[in-house]
Amino acid sequence: METILKAPTKSASPSWKPTITMASVIWRGMIIWLLIALVILCRILYPGFLARDNIFNILTQNVQVGLIALGMTFVMIAGGFDLSVGAIYAAGATVYAMEAKVMALPLAALLALTVGLIAGTTNGLIVTRLRVNPFVATLGTTSIFGGAAYLFSHSAPVLVDRPDFTVLGAGRWFGVPISLALLVVAYAIGSLLLSKTVYGRSLYAVGGNPEAARLAGLRVGFLKTSTYALVGVLSALGGMIIASRLSIGQADIAGTMSLDAIAIVIIGGTSLFGGSGAVWRTAVGLLLLAVLTNIFDALALDSNFQSLIKGAIVIGAVALDAFSRRR
Amino acid sequence: MLATAIPQRTAGAAVRFQIVRKQFGDTVAVKDVTLEVAAGSVHALVGENGAGKSTLLGMLAGRIAVTSGKIEVFGRMLQTGDVRASRAAGVVAIYQELTIVPNLSACANVFLGQTRSRLGFLSERLMHRRFDELCSRLGVTIPAHAVAGVLSMADQQMVEIIRALQSQARILLLDEPTSALAPPEREALFKRICELRANGVTILLVSHNLDEVLAIADEISVCRDGRLVSTAPATAWTKASLVAAMLGHAISHNPRRRPRRDFDRILHAEAITVPGKIENISITMSRSEIVGLGGLVGSGRTTLLRALSGLEPEAAGRLFIDGEERELPASPSQALDLGIALIPEDRKQGLVLGMTAQENIVLADLGATASAGFISEQRLRNCAVNAIRGYEFDRRRLSGMAGSLSGGNQQKLLLARWRHRRPRILLADEPTRGIDIGAKEEILGNLRDLADDGLTILFVSSELEEVVAVSDRIQVLSAGRDAGCLNADASVSDILSAAFSLKPAVA
Repeated sequence: METILKAPTKSASPSWKPTITMASVIWRGMIIWLLIALVILCRILYPGFLARDNIFNILTQNVQVGLIALGMTFVMIAGGFDLSVGAIYAAGATVYAMEAKVMALPLAALLALTVGLIAGTTNGLIVTRLRVNPFVATLGTTSIFGGAAYLFSHSAPVLVDRPDFTVLGAGRWFGVPISLALLVVAYAIGSLLLSKTVYGRSLYAVGGNPEAARLAGLRVGFLKTSTYALVGVLSALGGMIIASRLSIGQADIAGTMSLDAIAIVIIGGTSLFGGSGAVWRTAVGLLLLAVLTNIFDALALDSNFQSLIKGAIVIGAVALDAFSRRR
Repeated sequence: MLATAIPQRTAGAAVRFQIVRKQFGDTVAVKDVTLEVAAGSVHALVGENGAGKSTLLGMLAGRIAVTSGKIEVFGRMLQTGDVRASRAAGVVAIYQELTIVPNLSACANVFLGQTRSRLGFLSERLMHRRFDELCSRLGVTIPAHAVAGVLSMADQQMVEIIRALQSQARILLLDEPTSALAPPEREALFKRICELRANGVTILLVSHNLDEVLAIADEISVCRDGRLVSTAPATAWTKASLVAAMLGHAISHNPRRRPRRDFDRILHAEAITVPGKIENISITMSRSEIVGLGGLVGSGRTTLLRALSGLEPEAAGRLFIDGEERELPASPSQALDLGIALIPEDRKQGLVLGMTAQENIVLADLGATASAGFISEQRLRNCAVNAIRGYEFDRRRLSGMAGSLSGGNQQKLLLARWRHRRPRILLADEPTRGIDIGAKEEILGNLRDLADDGLTILFVSSELEEVVAVSDRIQVLSAGRDAGCLNADASVSDILSAAFSLKPAVA
């Protein structure tokens, strides 16, 4: 293509090369170095730390929150936020337990996942169609989904007494906890989805600049809603796992689940403002928090004290992120 | 009152840059600039994007610290890199992006952070009196109570200038002050600038509009690649000599227009109405045709483009594509299905600044870079390289963030995006706003190329000379209504007289 108005050749434009300095490598990988340091510390404090069973133990305890944090990563990269995951988690647990008493296990599982899907899609539609701020929208649905879980379970723990029910949460497959294998597979698929596919790349665009994404023809509403749907399904799955492990489905199990999941994503370094982040970051955030909890437990630290430190870490992570942006 | 705040016009320099150098990493943005700005004068800095003008202003304003050299303000050494030190020295900068708080009144904006109080209570009366005083001093009438966000861009800018005066600015830095203004508003701003100068304020101005600079500045300095090429009184410059100095060589200015060979009607929009904005506008475009939209800011040009690209939910009217009636698009993705693409007025609205340049280019067509949903980075790269081919664009920067590029380069990304995706109709809203001359010529030339290649283009620019230069036909809008159609040989004054011919239809 020949230009008609002849563009002048610019004399010596300032040279530009991508700068990959040692400092930026250390900075980007900060969170990993921190994790490695913690693991070494653990190993010193507690020689049994790296034993296979201890590792499995630590990780298995964090499968539920890990699944939810994975979904939350998608939501936050697409510029959203979801406080209702804890409620969906509780709903997933109660529905799975209730239905497991009356029907075949796969059917009950399907039903619980569908509940998660519907709840997440509802969140997405409220945010994208009704244009309610995601924080407010999911604050509202927390109450709705949570309330529904209580109503559905008649506010009582649902005890499930069938042996196959515990397989999902407590079963092992060639010595590996099934729930843990599930988590690893989910992270692998999630990572591929986010970093290698058109869908993933579109989410970054939607979170980075929804207006630009819309003008480029991306279906912003649909894409955003899909992330809420995804986190809904993963939350319900997390609920199913905890119900299975405890043989009880209970509407009050959520606790600080939502905040923990969000904390993990943030500690990993995924931006609160959308458009940047990665699954590996959430994985590191998850491991960091898991190892930390393990140290605290080994030191027999008061759980209230643990909560205090976790809070400080979240704030520190965000402050560090803000600081690195200013540089 | 103003006179007490501002010292009498002093002979000598208001600002003196002495061998000032600024380095960002390996890049030298400003190379040993020595420059004197006479007190009480209007001094303009011109140059292409990246020539170092903004960095110079930034150092004076305190946003950027010098690497070496020094800056004196009224004979006193300025501690650079400290906005408060600059303000204390009497330097106030007004940027393209205004810093108005839209929800507050004009008056409150003027006194932002320096409210007048009596016994600890805000004294509205005092502030209003002072506000009116400053307004009359400048010869503007802005109601003190008016909510700043609903004022016109020109008035908002004036509020910022009044704020600067209120804080006793002696040196005012204006960065592209007219880029968002309509011609009459520009005239008004020039008058204000002359008032300011008469009041002894020194003005340092950065602008891409050379006519404007020649008309208003006392002295003009040209920057190129971080160096100060030359400084001379405005009377010693001509537009051609300025351009030559900016580019380092002369430019051949011959917009060649080819007769249209193709008369297939591609798009016909009839009676497009967006309540409260535009009324009953019809437009017809043929293949390979560039239709320019003439008119003033606020005449509804942008609204028409938005309506055609699915961004105005209340738009009504009939749309025919290839003679077949279609629904007006309800979203940009529907518009794209009809073959209509938009380059928005604000580049930043079209780009994801946190993604790479190449991702931004293929964003409208990610599917083409993937198989079975998985993106091939190699293919993505190739698509981007192809789409940007022919532009002056450093390919190494394709893998850098879009946000790190200059305005001209960002605009090239948007053009490249549609060059890759190939819609049938391209709506280009102000594609040349605020970018340097070299990039401007390149982009205008490329619009022509795209049209010759079969694309139909609807082109909007506040620079009416550009509209005249590039369009095959010019449709003029005035106050939201159709003010007639002009041929390619129409002049700027023809457009203006058509644009002023109608009384406002919508309030």
